Amino acid sequence: MIYVKDLSKTFGDNQVLSHIDAHISPGEKVVIVGPSGSGKSTFLRCLNLLEQPTSGSITFDGQEITAPHADVNKIRQHMGMVFQHFNLFANLTVKKNIMLAPVQLKLMTNEQAEEEAMRLLRLVNLEDKADVYPIQLSGGQKQRIAIVRSLAMKPEVMLFDEPTSALDPEMVGEVLELMKRLAVDGMTMVVVTHEMGFAREVATRVLFMDGGVIKEENTPQEFFEHPRDPRLQEFLSKVL
Amino acid sequence: MESLRSGIYQTFILDHNYKYFLNGIKITLIVTLFALVLGLILGVLVAIIRSAHDQQPENKRGILLRVLNLFCKVYLTVIRGTPMMVQLLIMWFVVWASARATDGNMIRCAVLSFGINSGAYVAEIVRSGIMSIDKGQMEAGRSLGLSYVKTMRFIVIPQAFKNVLPALGNELITLLKETSIVTVIGLKDLTKGAMIIQANTYQAMVPYLAIAAIYLAMVMLLSWLLGVMERRMRKSDIR
Repeated sequence: MIYVKDLSKTFGDNQVLSHIDAHISPGEKVVIVGPSGSGKSTFLRCLNLLEQPTSGSITFDGQEITAPHADVNKIRQHMGMVFQHFNLFANLTVKKNIMLAPVQLKLMTNEQAEEEAMRLLRLVNLEDKADVYPIQLSGGQKQRIAIVRSLAMKPEVMLFDEPTSALDPEMVGEVLELMKRLAVDGMTMVVVTHEMGFAREVATRVLFMDGGVIKEENTPQEFFEHPRDPRLQEFLSKVL
Repeated sequence: MESLRSGIYQTFILDHNYKYFLNGIKITLIVTLFALVLGLILGVLVAIIRSAHDQQPENKRGILLRVLNLFCKVYLTVIRGTPMMVQLLIMWFVVWASARATDGNMIRCAVLSFGINSGAYVAEIVRSGIMSIDKGQMEAGRSLGLSYVKTMRFIVIPQAFKNVLPALGNELITLLKETSIVTVIGLKDLTKGAMIIQANTYQAMVPYLAIAAIYLAMVMLLSWLLGVMERRMRKSDIR
């Protein structure tokens, strides 16, 4: 589904990603872990071109999205993205947050979008929040709404950029729970996270990034029980 | 006391002089209102071009965007770097030199001058508002597949506008008062009305105090309206 070939990204003199090759198949749940500054968020953001890669290519559904005249907006419609800081639209109510993109991109009529928004809100038990503004919600509620906002576009793949890192500890569970449900429903997911429990339980493949390269990738079992890379062994000894 | 009474009589009653005030208020408000609309349109356009240019990575800026940005920068520099009165004089006596000195022509000229002038200040105010919005808002919009323009229109600009409303109000108040310099091209606004009365009646105190009070009242009314608008827009900030 997503092929990444020889992807590099530099910010000025700082090489954040160097020559990364990766492949994500439909239905896979790929979890990316690594120390901060390892380039994992940048890698994820390159996948939907929120960061412009310096070199290399990314192909999504057979279409090279890094090509100069690729229709980025069209491609992004099929890739949901969830951010660390939720990024709900502060000037719109919860329901309007969910409805905006499907309606504006003419994928649904206003009525259809409203119906879909309410269905999604019921899915996360937040239908009573439909008409409130994001500022009135807790972090966990915001993130669950951010997730269903992406789902309203019916994406083929969901990208999660540290979705629980900005949450109070007691709210992490409700967000992970929703992500697990998505995984069970067969959504293709790429998740950057520090939640090792989630990686172990949900991932079909775990990637370890350090210094802008993928140092190791394996099934969760092998990854956590028999890490080969010394840097990964050190990392796991600190976080587990 | 007697002189004050005759001052008031000569200022307002004699020869129906109060009409100078009424017509003056009308012209001042017309120039302010249309200049405001023009200034807002110009200002928002320039602000969007400037911030689109600054937010784009260097290698992704199209040639059109670069040219437009340069054009905007020249506009801002020239307009903010020269006095309003000089701009008005140039507009009327140079650009519109062949126009006949009718009220309609003078009003159009004043609206254009003040609109262009105000646009430069509004542009920087709106741009500061756009820059005050968290980058995540734009990223969230784009990640859903919305275009830059749509994300700007539905997400960033409404929030930016709310943040800069007090500064825009300030600009509007300045604009209203600054229209008094249309007297230099002979347009009979509120200030010119008082000057005409002074010339006819040799009264100075009453006419000038009167227009000061009228300007003050108009500004207070505007401030009140802006306050109402601000409270309505703060709806999404209430926890």
